[in-house]
Amino acid sequence: MNEYIQFFIKNPVSSLAVFITIVPIVIIWFRRAFIDKAIRFLFIYLLIKLVIDTVMLQYVLNNLNNLIFYNIHIPIRYILLGGMLYYYFESVVYKRLIISTMAVFLVFSIWDILSVNPDLSDTYNHLLVRYSSTVESVLMIFWLLAFYFDAIQSLRITNLLTFPFFWICGGLLLFYSTYVFIAPLLHYVVKWENQFDIGILYQVPYVFEIISMVLIGLGITYYSPRQYDRS
Amino acid sequence: MIDPSQIRWAILIAMLAMLMMAVFVITFVVLYQKRQLAQEKNLREIEKEYQLKLLETALDSEESERKRIAQDLHDDIGTMLSLTKLSLNQLTKIINKDEPQTEYTANKVQSLLEETILHVRRITRELVPTTLKQFGLPTAIDEFVQKLDSNHSTSIQFNCNFETIPRQSQKVELTLYRIMQELVNNALKHSSGDQIVVELQLEMGKIELQVTDNGKGFDAKAMKESKKAGLGLHSIDSRLSVVHGNVAYLTPATNGCRIKVQVPLEPEKQNKTEPLHPFRKTA
Repeated sequence: MNEYIQFFIKNPVSSLAVFITIVPIVIIWFRRAFIDKAIRFLFIYLLIKLVIDTVMLQYVLNNLNNLIFYNIHIPIRYILLGGMLYYYFESVVYKRLIISTMAVFLVFSIWDILSVNPDLSDTYNHLLVRYSSTVESVLMIFWLLAFYFDAIQSLRITNLLTFPFFWICGGLLLFYSTYVFIAPLLHYVVKWENQFDIGILYQVPYVFEIISMVLIGLGITYYSPRQYDRS
Repeated sequence: MIDPSQIRWAILIAMLAMLMMAVFVITFVVLYQKRQLAQEKNLREIEKEYQLKLLETALDSEESERKRIAQDLHDDIGTMLSLTKLSLNQLTKIINKDEPQTEYTANKVQSLLEETILHVRRITRELVPTTLKQFGLPTAIDEFVQKLDSNHSTSIQFNCNFETIPRQSQKVELTLYRIMQELVNNALKHSSGDQIVVELQLEMGKIELQVTDNGKGFDAKAMKESKKAGLGLHSIDSRLSVVHGNVAYLTPATNGCRIKVQVPLEPEKQNKTEPLHPFRKTA
């Protein structure tokens, strides 16, 4: 516990990026928002993210290479967030495309992990994936923009500012729009025992993650089982 | 190999991208609300148009029904009564005229029959104002007023410069005629006055119909709110909405009330003489 506290004091932003996930999880739980299928997928994703982030933190504290969890996290994240959008969209074309990209991306990310790390048992020298995170960002940005396009075309949402998905997709869009520029470098930059000194800018990706979680949490606060009306 | 300056650049670009996306989201909200407002406005207009169409259809149906009843009265009852009159005339000739009681009864029946024929004709004319279609609004109002004036103790006067009022579409003329009928009947029934003045004139591109009485007057707003009593006034509003007209309820300096109805003047069209059967079906 003492190690945790010391780590928090030393790295407040990255620690906050891990535990801020609890906020939307708690809101979803108390507002019973998981009743909605789309939000249920988001809920599962947030739970898995919290578990993976905590395990990664534990590995860091034990001075172990945690990058394998990050690599596993990428296809899981796309599948669960894609699942959320699958249940949001009403268009059959969108639904089919999401399912297809999920399957293709799963195969692609497994290939990416294996191509970068031929020996999975060598956890010490495990590296981050080369392309998967960038491809995931591009795909997610596409689906999130599709959400906005669909919303403005159909004009079905009565009040945009109190519509949970507007904030959830806004948070994710901000996160992925930054991640898409950082992701291509991660493979070369994030290596075990090879940290770059870039000063305060090192904290920036964590800030993006925190903003994204805050917006998702804000979106869920607007969820109401009675008044929840997507049409 | 990547050096720290490249990472710094990547992070700066990412920050810029985030800002751009934030601007995108804000712009999206503004655009969305603008489009939503436009759509709501559009929907309201469609609904209004639909209501107007519905009202127009209802009024058309009412007129068709009046026409049908008038036609039945004219063709069936009217014909039967005329035949009865003929037969009665023949019967009067052959009955024994020496008996005064018989002659008296025959004359009474004949007079009753003639009265009935007159009533049927009057009802038929009231149901379908044939004069309106053939000779226009001022003539039809004049005819209506003259008939009422001769039958009632209340003095009814009609002021109009006949030549200044151009022919309008059947819809506009019929609307103004029905409104005039409603207003004059209301004045006769409820005003307790002894003078009614109907005026028809052109006023700044509009046809203006005024009905003034010297009775006790009334509160139009309160009357409209009253569910039962305000039906006639609501009917006037409904009729006027179809022809984009308006109505104003005024209280003159003297007692009574003045009701001013205005309907936009339609572009003048060539007059067509229609000396046809009054119940001829139009296309």
